[in-house]
Amino acid sequence: MNSASEAQYREQPAKRLRNAAIRRTGSSAFMTLLGKECLELLRSFKLVWVPIVFVVLGIMQPLLSYFMPVLIEKAGNMPEGTVIEMPPPVGSQVLADTLSQFGLMGLLILALAFMGIVSGERNSGASALVLVKPVSHTSYLLSKWVSMMILTWGSLLLGYAAAWYYTWLLIDFVDVGPFMLSYVLFGLWFTFVLTATLLFSTFLRSAAGAAFSSLGVAVLLSMLAGLMPKYMGWSPGALSGLAYQAVTSEVLLPLNSVSWWSIATAVIGIAVLLMGSVVLLKRAPAHD
Amino acid sequence: MTELLQVKGLTKSFGSVHAVKSIDFSIQEGRCVALLGPNGAGKTTTIRMLTGLLAPTSGEVRFHSLARGEDHRSLIGYLPQTPAFHNGMSGMEYVVYSGRLCGLSASDARKRAMELLERVGLASAAKRRVGGYSGGMKQRLGLAQALVHHPKLLVMDEPVSALDPLGRREVLRLLQELKSETTVLFSTHVLHDAEELCDDVVIIRDGEVALQGSLAAIRNEHRRPVIELKLEDAPHAINWAQSFLQKSRTDELRYSWLSEAELQGNRLYMTASHMDVARQGLMEELTEHKVPFSRLEVGYSSLEDLFMKVVSG
Ligand SMILES: Nc1ncnc2c1ncn2[C@@H]1O[C@H](COP(=O)(O)OP(=O)(O)OP(=O)(O)O)[C@@H](O)[C@H]1O
Ligand SMILES: [Mg+2]
Repeated sequence: MNSASEAQYREQPAKRLRNAAIRRTGSSAFMTLLGKECLELLRSFKLVWVPIVFVVLGIMQPLLSYFMPVLIEKAGNMPEGTVIEMPPPVGSQVLADTLSQFGLMGLLILALAFMGIVSGERNSGASALVLVKPVSHTSYLLSKWVSMMILTWGSLLLGYAAAWYYTWLLIDFVDVGPFMLSYVLFGLWFTFVLTATLLFSTFLRSAAGAAFSSLGVAVLLSMLAGLMPKYMGWSPGALSGLAYQAVTSEVLLPLNSVSWWSIATAVIGIAVLLMGSVVLLKRAPAHD
Repeated sequence: MTELLQVKGLTKSFGSVHAVKSIDFSIQEGRCVALLGPNGAGKTTTIRMLTGLLAPTSGEVRFHSLARGEDHRSLIGYLPQTPAFHNGMSGMEYVVYSGRLCGLSASDARKRAMELLERVGLASAAKRRVGGYSGGMKQRLGLAQALVHHPKLLVMDEPVSALDPLGRREVLRLLQELKSETTVLFSTHVLHDAEELCDDVVIIRDGEVALQGSLAAIRNEHRRPVIELKLEDAPHAINWAQSFLQKSRTDELRYSWLSEAELQGNRLYMTASHMDVARQGLMEELTEHKVPFSRLEVGYSSLEDLFMKVVSG
């Protein structure tokens, strides 16, 4: 053994210890950051009002469907003797309508709630004080992303479960299988769009810019998937349509290969968007 | 004395703006170093590259206790020019949070936070939200969070520029204490602050090092004898002064003792190259022309004069 490799050999245990120490502080730093994000969600009341909005949206759809015939009868100046033939509402269709409400209003609200999640701290300089500490850029962004996901999946679950419950009370029972599958598919779609919000928030100074760029991407992808299912059926934009199908189908929807592709591209897309955010953040951790 | 870090050829360009042009300096362990320069000299840019917040266009910052390329952020405590925090947190929460981010355990972080808030005089405001702090309080909170992990190097960007005279005294007193505990680098555009606290200065101008060294050495090396002559308000006196200035520019030989002369109102300032010759020469000149003067003062140039000369080019 020559002296150089001997020295290297001796250095190894020390290096390993140091790396272990870094890993330990790394994971505790992540938990600290996540704690701070959740505290902020709580103190800004987002942890309260976003779920409330979802629950209200979720209850509204079954209520509207249930009372629609009565409403039309009361409000319409129908000539005497008109008989309104309306097909009785179907529970699974009501849930699909609820999802499409979430896809519009719910997504808008979430995008607005998270639009300044990075840019706000970067513009003020608060991010600089965090990133001069031995904290990895990945932990910093991932803690934000996880807090976003907690609020997103939580609110969606509460709102959707409320819709399911009222549909059961007022209309009819929808099986739990299709309900859960459509929840997961729709949650994945939300995750994709909101990860795009995180990316835009990392490289745009303007918070509104981040919200509307990511919503623009969402609208564009859904439209393409809707207009050209043949060519864009594999894109994440097809996920919301897939969720509607999942909840309206009688049995648990057997996913075909194109559907699997749209799930796979969404997952890959989320990973790429996250990595892109880290790269962008590393390039400029703070504005002045 | 061991060297803590070395800055080599550090350069930063923002498009066509060359903010920092190949700066070299080093910091010895335990010293207090001032980065001194006028507005726009590149102090903030240099400091941000030092802390790793800004990637240099070229050049490097090397900490000798670390392997090349190893993360040096755990060695540094940083107080920015205008610190910004998470406004929803209380002062106490923020310092604990900073400590946790630096790897302290929850109980250590609490203990350290309490101790530091006491020290910077924020103990009574520790439970209030940071968003409601005044500028001076934010500065002191910034100092507390920078010190939480016992950094080897405390880096501060204009720590006292935004404070009122009282707050300024307070923070300067704190820094006076701190500099015996750790290595300190801070930027300022006020020479007086540097003189009060520092061992070494690095004066930068337009992104370049104009002068650097220990304060004592610079003071000795650049000390020049100056003579201030206050004249009577008589036309004869002013006329003499003007012709003297004229002569001092043309007749090099005779006025070889004089390196510079300047007339401001009825005061004539002369920088001499050699004091004894200068005294002699001036006395002869004054008696020969029967110059009516009211005061003659002989002294040495201050660091302030040197600083002004260096930064104004
Ligand atoms: N992000 C940036 N983009 C473009 N130019 C910049 C940027 N940051 C700094 N500069 C330029 O670099 C130069 C040095 O700026 P810097 O902020 O380092 O000066 P400073 O010495 O800290 O000044 P001050 O005393 O005013 O804080 C200035 O001319 C400034 O305009
Ligand atoms: Mg500055």
